[in-house]
Amino acid sequence: MRAFFAHLRAELIGLLRVPGFLIPTLVFPSMFFLIFAAPYLKTWPAANQTTASFMTFAVFTVVFFQFGVAVAQERENPWYAYLRALPLAPWVRPAALVITGLLFALLAAAVVGGVAAATTPIQPERAAPLALFAALLMGAIPMGLFGVALALLLSPRAALPVANLVYLPLSFLGGLWMPPEVLPGWAQRLSLYTPTRHWGELVWASAGGNPWPLRSALVLLAYTLAFALVAAWAWRRGRA
Amino acid sequence: MNAIAEVQGIKKTYGKTQALAGVSLAVEAGKVLALLGPNGAGKTTLVKILVGLLPPDGGSARLFGEDPRRPAARRRLGLTPQETGFPPTLRVREVVELVRAHYPEPENPRTLLTRFGLWNLKDRLTARLSGGERRRLTIALAFAGRPKLAVLDEPTTGLDVESRRGLWQAIRRFAEAGGSVLLTTHYLEEAEALADRVAILHRGRLLALGTVAEIRDQVGLKRVAFEAETVPDLPGVVRVERSGPRVTLFTADADRLVRELVRRGVPFRNLEVSPVRLEEAFLLLTGETGR
Repeated sequence: MRAFFAHLRAELIGLLRVPGFLIPTLVFPSMFFLIFAAPYLKTWPAANQTTASFMTFAVFTVVFFQFGVAVAQERENPWYAYLRALPLAPWVRPAALVITGLLFALLAAAVVGGVAAATTPIQPERAAPLALFAALLMGAIPMGLFGVALALLLSPRAALPVANLVYLPLSFLGGLWMPPEVLPGWAQRLSLYTPTRHWGELVWASAGGNPWPLRSALVLLAYTLAFALVAAWAWRRGRA
Repeated sequence: MNAIAEVQGIKKTYGKTQALAGVSLAVEAGKVLALLGPNGAGKTTLVKILVGLLPPDGGSARLFGEDPRRPAARRRLGLTPQETGFPPTLRVREVVELVRAHYPEPENPRTLLTRFGLWNLKDRLTARLSGGERRRLTIALAFAGRPKLAVLDEPTTGLDVESRRGLWQAIRRFAEAGGSVLLTTHYLEEAEALADRVAILHRGRLLALGTVAEIRDQVGLKRVAFEAETVPDLPGVVRVERSGPRVTLFTADADRLVRELVRRGVPFRNLEVSPVRLEEAFLLLTGETGR
């Protein structure tokens, strides 16, 4: 346990000292929200849904890049080979990374929530907070695994650009920037196949105090399994 | 047999390259074993297998009698990281604390950092350390857990003479207090100064294993050095080196060679006969004539 907290602490203070990490992660989703969404939100249901969308987008950003690209860079850095040679149980470091990622993801989502509370007519009391938290987590896990899988399959140099190429369309098609109903027709059809759309469905339902649509929950679970399998396969391939 | 760590018949192949072709050796309690070899000899692979970072393709590795891939086997092992990788946003003290947290009875941070001349740098970010300071931090980390075995990978590469001597002293003191050391090095001088035994690796094979004196004997040559303008071809000379007016001849029978020099009237000055230095034994064993 001592080693776990030491790793957690090292990760947290390490990241807190990098402005290039903190500012984009915590500020960009809220900034997009302020510029592109907040001025057009006149009713509480729209405000709740859109705020939830941008919270999802914020969580997506952190888990996808923090896990994906950071894992790819760790793989190349001899310091992490050194850490693996210390007397350390194998779960400690992944657990510390997951907790760090989730903490920052929640922080980023909370900033969006705070900005929304100050600038839109959201009604947080209409949302189901525990369900919302669970919904954010339901998508954070597969998207984090997706990031890890990409990072393990690609060279570290290619990981960042490819991650961007995947992340921006997935956010758009999933309806995280604007509601899926207002997407162009082709995008609406594609949207149904993206993990982000089904993640959004769970989050939107929770933001309005409604139960999760079962189908979306199942699709997300299927994506979780698929990304976990690919990540595990890529991990083994990299070790051989 | 008093082995703290040992490998037996280990093999490792990367693609078509055979990094290790069946190597056996042991680190004994309270002794310093130096692993010597040119780049690509298999030193790093051997160390990685011994500390549990790589599984061998064949043979076995034991650390304190256990499989080194089990974290518990590494509780009394300290090792140096490569200096290139420190997390740049952590301070010296924080890096030490992180490593200490893995060991049951770690060293006091102040004692540790003072011993390696780093206490006044404890609040500096690792990104702002000089090359020599980074190198000293890597070695300090190997001792952070108060290990029984320290594995030091090229500990003094890039250090100035003074720091190197200071470090040798720290390593010697550790061994005198009962610690065991496995050290890889390019510096033969370092092996001569520190090692109880020397293992020479070349192309994945163990060429020689023994004390410094035994390795010299294994080569079985004497060096005969003197100054002369020209040297005729002489019987029994296996190698000739010349630097300026100084000539060095390697031979199995130094007495006969000197008699021959006198008999032929070679005008030599400052004659010196000595056993081969480890460096020369090394070059002769690996067949890398150097220079």
